[in-house]
Amino acid sequence: MAYVATRGGERAIEQSERLYRAGLGDIDAQRVAAIRQALPWLIDRVMGEASLYEPDLAALALAQSGGDLYETVLLLRAWRTTQPRLAIAEPVTQESLFTVRRISAAFKDIPGGQILGPTLDYSHRLLATSVLEGQPFVPMPVEPAARPAPAHQPSLAAWQKAVGLVADVSATPVAPEDIPDLTREPLLFPAKRAHTLQSLARADTGGVLALGYSAMRGYGNAHPTVNELRLAEAELRVRHPRGTVFSAGRVKVSQAEVTNKGKSGKLELGFCATLGWNEVKVIAGATLDLNAPAAPKNSPVNEEFFLYHTEPVEASGFCIHFKLPHYVTFQSSLDALRDAKAGTAAHATSSTIQRQEEPA
Amino acid sequence: MIDEMTGVANSGMPCHAHLLDTLARADDGALKTFAEDVLPLLGEIEVVQSRTGLVMLPMRDTVAGTDFHLGEVLVAEAHIRVKGGETEGYGMVIGRDLERAMAMAVIDAAAMAGADKERLAHFVEAQATRILTADEQRLRAVEATRVEMETF
Repeated sequence: MAYVATRGGERAIEQSERLYRAGLGDIDAQRVAAIRQALPWLIDRVMGEASLYEPDLAALALAQSGGDLYETVLLLRAWRTTQPRLAIAEPVTQESLFTVRRISAAFKDIPGGQILGPTLDYSHRLLATSVLEGQPFVPMPVEPAARPAPAHQPSLAAWQKAVGLVADVSATPVAPEDIPDLTREPLLFPAKRAHTLQSLARADTGGVLALGYSAMRGYGNAHPTVNELRLAEAELRVRHPRGTVFSAGRVKVSQAEVTNKGKSGKLELGFCATLGWNEVKVIAGATLDLNAPAAPKNSPVNEEFFLYHTEPVEASGFCIHFKLPHYVTFQSSLDALRDAKAGTAAHATSSTIQRQEEPA
Repeated sequence: MIDEMTGVANSGMPCHAHLLDTLARADDGALKTFAEDVLPLLGEIEVVQSRTGLVMLPMRDTVAGTDFHLGEVLVAEAHIRVKGGETEGYGMVIGRDLERAMAMAVIDAAAMAGADKERLAHFVEAQATRILTADEQRLRAVEATRVEMETF
């Protein structure tokens, strides 16, 4: 017995929702627009985890949830189900990305060069407290170069494969409509690589970081170095009814490869990408991908472990469901406890509290 | 020569993919105004589709070459047909703006119908130049962050 129907409390429930919403106040288009403009990195993080690219809706979900990220992602995932799927775009390749940042920590001289792009990597992190005293923070403008950077950068992994540093894995081509899709089928183990990467793309940033960081600190079997990190925009290439393939616009994407010297004498690579710009997630995610192949069962870098535990809606939902009435299950625990106290010594030793296993 | 866009000879128009790429990223105000201008030239139109929906975006993994789904993008889609004719127009843009998708479809239909060719070609070129300029300005700022580090 896990759950029981409860009755009553309607008024309190109604007032509790009002109390929650009263704390957020009126939500209007202006507030949503301000969130979208002021918090692009948060919008990106939310769109990646929601697996839905639409900055206005992400800003609205943030406004409506007051910035509670799990509520935000839940709102967007739920709203997504109201929309029909119109098409599957052409697969994005690394060379076709409109790239604004592309670095390698493993190789100094990479074909195409290193481009820092927008980053605070080498900056002091100082809180601009003067803003609170009425002095706005006005950023210094970029001094543009005389010539533009190339819009597209070559794939570092392709070069490494060509020179024999990385094993060249030949993939069987798959039609876009045959790409395995987690939104239509369950995640089973051992997971298809397409499922693993889709799952990481939708994963909770904090969860991926925690498990990826555990591998980086030594609980994994491969220490990562960033082979390539990219912030870019991908064209959404769709088909016109008369057959012409065109771009319906660009969406922000980030991707990372991390590397480690493998036992085969070649470099091994791990990969992760997501919608929106989210460097921590893709580096940590790629670290998990790199560590997954040889991971022992029940270790944080085991695929089943990290994919199940970083799904934001399921993980947060399971966590907060424990707040809901569990009176009957808990009553049975109490009964067991009382029985144990009241019974004989022999009886008491055999009826300690059992860990509660519950169906989701 | 048969133009791939209009399906008619010697239309003298930019290729269809270029037209659609450009319309999808055109300035919002200019796109809608231009669509209003060419709409009367089409005669009566029938709306086949005007809706929002999702496009799944796959990506190719660089490690094993696996195509996987990165996530879904919300788009607005419009599909129109000129009543009693073969002419059709289609628009799809990122976002929720149905009017924007419809404006794209109207201009696509006008291109297929060969209506007001000169102005249309001029509009597309002006927008293409605007897009190219914006990209170039962005990439000049990006180029300023190119780094050459020395190790010692």
